[in-house]
Amino acid sequence: MIQIVQQREKCIGCNACVEAAPNRWRMSKKDGKCTLVGGKDKKGYYILNTFDDEWEENELAARICPVKIIRVVKL
Amino acid sequence: MQKVELMSPAGSFESLMAAIKGGCDAVYFGVEQLNMRARSTNNFTLEDLRKIAAIARENSIRTYITMNTILYDHDIQLMKKIVDAAKEEKIDAIIASDHAVMNYAKKMGMPVHISTQANVTNIDTVEFYASYADVMVLSRELSLMQVASIQKEIERRQVTGPSGHLVRLEIFAHGALCMAVSGKCYLSLHSHFASANRGACIQNCRRSYIVTDKDEGMEYEIDNEYIMSAKDLCTIPFLPEILQTGVSVLKIEGRGRSADYVYKTTLCYREAIDACFQNTYTEEKVNGWMETLSTVYNRGFWDGYYLGRKLGEWSENYGSVATKRKIYVAKGVKYFEKATIAEFYCESHSLSVGDDIMVTGPTTGYVETTVGELRVNGLPVNKVERGTSFTVGIPEKIRPSDKLYKVVENT
Repeated sequence: MIQIVQQREKCIGCNACVEAAPNRWRMSKKDGKCTLVGGKDKKGYYILNTFDDEWEENELAARICPVKIIRVVKL
Repeated sequence: MQKVELMSPAGSFESLMAAIKGGCDAVYFGVEQLNMRARSTNNFTLEDLRKIAAIARENSIRTYITMNTILYDHDIQLMKKIVDAAKEEKIDAIIASDHAVMNYAKKMGMPVHISTQANVTNIDTVEFYASYADVMVLSRELSLMQVASIQKEIERRQVTGPSGHLVRLEIFAHGALCMAVSGKCYLSLHSHFASANRGACIQNCRRSYIVTDKDEGMEYEIDNEYIMSAKDLCTIPFLPEILQTGVSVLKIEGRGRSADYVYKTTLCYREAIDACFQNTYTEEKVNGWMETLSTVYNRGFWDGYYLGRKLGEWSENYGSVATKRKIYVAKGVKYFEKATIAEFYCESHSLSVGDDIMVTGPTTGYVETTVGELRVNGLPVNKVERGTSFTVGIPEKIRPSDKLYKVVENT
């Protein structure tokens, strides 16, 4: 399993993570920030545990995030 | 010469108050993430708008929201929300570069300024944008002759904005310049996937670089110059020429800069503009202002492109060459108004009698003074160390949210 964590408040809405992992990230039209699909809000940090096959594209999303608010770790 | 408006940056409440104390006529600031300093400042939120508008009204200054990133489809709703909120809170204008913002603001009856990001460099472009905006920020790459000619043509052609008045021009007077034309830079995106045009610039142009000969692998450091890092623009030495062009607004760059920078630059330009109008602008005064300006964050100064003399001047250092630097010492505790004495708690370093100090905070803005007397438990001392509560005379009210810094020579 892997865990994806996003500090959503600091998102600048650049769309880079959506390009990298379109099934896991979606731009919210409400506030222009990105939403971690399936993520649960824990005090502003959105957290999701998912399967290893999503590692590659989400690790890329974390790497190219300009404000470095995405973290992906192997559980 | 007609009256000019001095517009200062407000990246935080500290800087907002500092700008007001420095004597600005207007402030500009970003709200939420749709501005060119999305990364570097604590951007205000929509909830802060009411407070900012109230502070501005109280101090009779105008307020402008900067919304000048490129916009994607998913940003439109937020953009509209910001424009609506700005209208409701009676913010004076939105500074925009994306046509979607101009269009929506126009529809809503919200005044628009054309951002420098829109790269306005000729009179026909001014005419084009005139149906949307009364104020246009010209491209930073124009010479003063070009600026003056555009201004003259506005008068000759009688180019009017939505208000029915002649279009007014704004130019940058002071602050950081960048190597790219009108800030349209891809370097940060290319190297770090951080788009400058979404406000995420990591400023890698400010570093020094080495050129490698691909055939032999030889490396050359280019003249020890930071070849992509432009020095900061400073127009005080030729401010009368600037004013003679007929521009209406002078902008100080620096939403990412601290309160002391905002205070000092605003104060210098306020005094310099007033001196020009009162015929008291002298070389001696210019030297004084330049000395003050060099005490706060700067990469060295040059004239920008206004005088058309040189193609570019590059910084010789990484980061600031300010002659002074500040060291955090203590946090505010209490103010005794009758005695004009403030209590602070020393959290780091030490403070001695005779030290130059500054206090900044979201309500206080910026206060500077010299330590006259220090007291611990009511008894006078020469020096206070970390972990002590002490009192010191401060001419203005300070608050628990304030921070006290020692200002020392930057050696």
